[in-house]
Amino acid sequence: MPVNEGGSYEIRLKGHLAVRWADWFDGLTLTQESDGSTVLRGTVVDQAALHGLLGKVRDLGLPLIAVRRTGEQP
Amino acid sequence: MPGSIIQTKLYVPRRRAATVPRPRLSDRLSRGIDARLTLVSAPAGFGKTTLLASWLASAPRPEGLTAWLSLDQSDNDPTAFWTYAIAAVQTVAPAVGTGSLALIEADQTPVELVLGALLNELNALPNDLVLVLDDYHAIKDRHIHEGIAFFVDRLPPHVHLVIASRADPPLPLARLRARGELVEIRAADLRFTPDEAALYFNDVMALDLAAGELAILAGRTEGWIAALQLAALSLQGRDNVAEFIKGFAGDDRYIVDYLVEEVLQRQPEHVREFLLQTSVLNRLTGPLCDAVTEQDGGKAMLEALDRANLFLVALDDRRQWYRYHHLFGDVLRAHLANEQPDQVAELHRRASAWYERKAERPDAIRHALSAGDFGHAADLVELEWPALARARQEVTLRGWLDALPDQLLRCRPVLSNAYAGVLLSSGELEGVDQRLRDAERWLGPSQPSDAQGAGMVVVNEDEFRTLPGSVALHRAGYALARGNLVETVNHAHRALDFAPEDDHLTRGGATALMGLAAWASGDLETAYRTYAEGMADVQRGGHISGTVGRAVTLADIRVAQGRLRDAMRTYEQALQLASEQGGAVVRGTADMYAGMSELQRERNELDAATQSLLRSQELGEQSGFAQNRYRWRVAMARIHEARGDLDGALDLLSEAQPLFMIDLSPNVRPIAAMKARILVRQERTGEALGWAREHGLSVEDDLSYVHEYEHITLARVLLASGSALEASGLLDRLLQAAEHGGRTGSMIEILVLQALANDVHGDMRAALVSLERALTLAEPEGHVRVFVDEGPRMAALLQAAAKGGIAPGYVQRLLTHFGTAAGEPRTRQNLIEPLSDRELDVLRLLATDLDGPEIASQLMVSLNTMRTHTKSIYTKLGVNNRRAAVRRAEELELLSRIPTR
Repeated sequence: MPVNEGGSYEIRLKGHLAVRWADWFDGLTLTQESDGSTVLRGTVVDQAALHGLLGKVRDLGLPLIAVRRTGEQP
Repeated sequence: MPGSIIQTKLYVPRRRAATVPRPRLSDRLSRGIDARLTLVSAPAGFGKTTLLASWLASAPRPEGLTAWLSLDQSDNDPTAFWTYAIAAVQTVAPAVGTGSLALIEADQTPVELVLGALLNELNALPNDLVLVLDDYHAIKDRHIHEGIAFFVDRLPPHVHLVIASRADPPLPLARLRARGELVEIRAADLRFTPDEAALYFNDVMALDLAAGELAILAGRTEGWIAALQLAALSLQGRDNVAEFIKGFAGDDRYIVDYLVEEVLQRQPEHVREFLLQTSVLNRLTGPLCDAVTEQDGGKAMLEALDRANLFLVALDDRRQWYRYHHLFGDVLRAHLANEQPDQVAELHRRASAWYERKAERPDAIRHALSAGDFGHAADLVELEWPALARARQEVTLRGWLDALPDQLLRCRPVLSNAYAGVLLSSGELEGVDQRLRDAERWLGPSQPSDAQGAGMVVVNEDEFRTLPGSVALHRAGYALARGNLVETVNHAHRALDFAPEDDHLTRGGATALMGLAAWASGDLETAYRTYAEGMADVQRGGHISGTVGRAVTLADIRVAQGRLRDAMRTYEQALQLASEQGGAVVRGTADMYAGMSELQRERNELDAATQSLLRSQELGEQSGFAQNRYRWRVAMARIHEARGDLDGALDLLSEAQPLFMIDLSPNVRPIAAMKARILVRQERTGEALGWAREHGLSVEDDLSYVHEYEHITLARVLLASGSALEASGLLDRLLQAAEHGGRTGSMIEILVLQALANDVHGDMRAALVSLERALTLAEPEGHVRVFVDEGPRMAALLQAAAKGGIAPGYVQRLLTHFGTAAGEPRTRQNLIEPLSDRELDVLRLLATDLDGPEIASQLMVSLNTMRTHTKSIYTKLGVNNRRAAVRRAEELELLSRIPTR
């Protein structure tokens, strides 16, 4: 995979994040899980965009639990 | 540039009246002041800024200075970043920055030179200085990170850097840590301990909570200060404290969300609205808030929020500028985007308009871009770019241009041309042509409209008036960078036709480009005259600083013409001009000495040549142009070569290679060819032939001046490999071409090689004819090394010439130069394999107290070369360590007989 390639990703955070934050995360879907975590799902165009998202997670002071690639870019 | 510094970014945040004292952390900061770097690294809301502000306010540092810089996204331009860093230091040490700021604004200054100058200025500072870079996570630019790493490595002991960031900066932290040069304060340290939480709630906020309640709050927030502060705000004036705490503890919502909602719900509607609407601003002041909210009373509102501790951070002491605490601001913006999505763009538009009225265009542009108001943003960029280009903030300009839709740029000739200029200045040739064509579309006689039917847009009429000349100048520079000399001259002529008489910069630039094109084409007299004329015009346009350094170009042309005396005069005049400026050493002075060294070397004044290079080095990197780092090493390599240290010469050339900078001057002496010449002298003919093959050189090639040096080198390689006949044919053609271009310097060398080739054929008569011509051309200018470098065979030929009565005085003088620097061993040695001169030099230093690196630097060779010499000495003396080598040398009386230079 070329390093600049995007794809679908799942980002899991500790704590329940209100749905209103979906916009802040550039339209990713936001699901509150029963174990108290929140999962952001969506596609990013490239690695730089992914790191941009992770930067936003960091800026809210939210503990990051996992980042997982779930599919190639369509 | 100083006019556009936003002072609030340099403000040292004041300590809030009521904070929790944190002696455990302040003490650690105070102890860390002897390390190079303190890193405060933790997520948002951990009290990094507050900690640093209260430490600085309370730590006893008599005479200690404090400089502060709050960074944001707009600082991702190395020029802007370092300008701000210097401005921050200047708030407490006005003398710092005089030299380094000038360097920032000069052309193509590598950041190490700027930092070198800044470090020197800091070094001279009598006081201790703490420089804080807050919010360093906003910096993404790799060059800035590299600059900071360089800076930290060389900080004077009385200067201490503090970096506060949400993410560890990409610096060599492990190395600093291992050397004890790094002090760290991280999230685990910053979290409030239960005792600190108790102090905060009950003493600072006077909430009088029970121990159990405190434990719940501390547990749920995990000591995260922002959350604790929000909790305290939610609790203020609340009756049902126990209930709130219970609800808070039992909820697993994102803690800040939960608490901000609590806080916002308890605000009156107009306060809540104010908070949401003004969250689009990254700095707040009363009138700006009024403009964005379209209400009055912004100033009073800000003061009220400040008093209520509603996450406002003061940016000055006059209650004028504030910002929201970053985390709170983010939450407010998320609320705003969610509750009033249609409003966001409008709020940015109002902010942009306010900044525009204040003539603060960079902020106006930022908000216009956020508003998606691209047309207006483009208008502003068009008006602002000349100032930005002068301040050399190309990265910022590039960022704006990249943010604008291409379709829109293409209808704006001024911006298309500006874009081409930005690309050219960064050496990115791809895209230049398209941008220039976009600009040129609108300059023709008929005004086209583009595919969408959009017409031309021009806002900056002044720039548009001079656009044809500026576009043609960019065209000429683009053509020269691509090596197309005919087009360079054509476009430069067009630029001159367009540019009015008083547009000295365009006219001078165009003329100078024509001069460089003439140089690249080998027409040296025209090149000299034209380039000098262009530079004079540029000087009339007010660019004095570059003139000194340009002397290098003029002297280089003179050397190719064989006019060594004129070249020397050019350097001397430039040095005179530089010394008349007074004050700090003028940039380019170091280049002059390096250039003079090459002339001295040609006259075989090797000690003087070495002295000139040392002088150039002593002046420091900031007094030289970037190219000088390359030229200096090449000059030193040639001195080593002249002294017979061929390995040392090759080392220096390899060191020079990566330092080569592409500029618009032709690269008439490629480093690979210089190395090939040394390979020939080392009798590594196979490798030298490999060089010729690799570069596709052959005797059949069409000749052009830019490849002349390579072709002469090829002739040398052929001579060495026994193909004298082929070499002769090539030399005949080269001679003709050089004569045609008036390149006497090249002619002398070619004639010398012709003489040697004829000598190989056994045609002594022809050899002497060539040699006589060479001598006649060289005598008036005093060339020496071009003959002496050829060794014993040339000495024999010169002796034959002397017998034949050819230039007898000059030849006698030349003959005295053989065998001194290049030749005979200076002592008779009772060794099977005698030591070389260089090895004797090393041996002499081995007998001193100097260590290996010191010896290498004394001899100006790399450590590796020095070690090779040492190994060879040991072998020849039959010893295996330094002490034994010195003892053996004394026994053989090798040391006493070594003359000192």
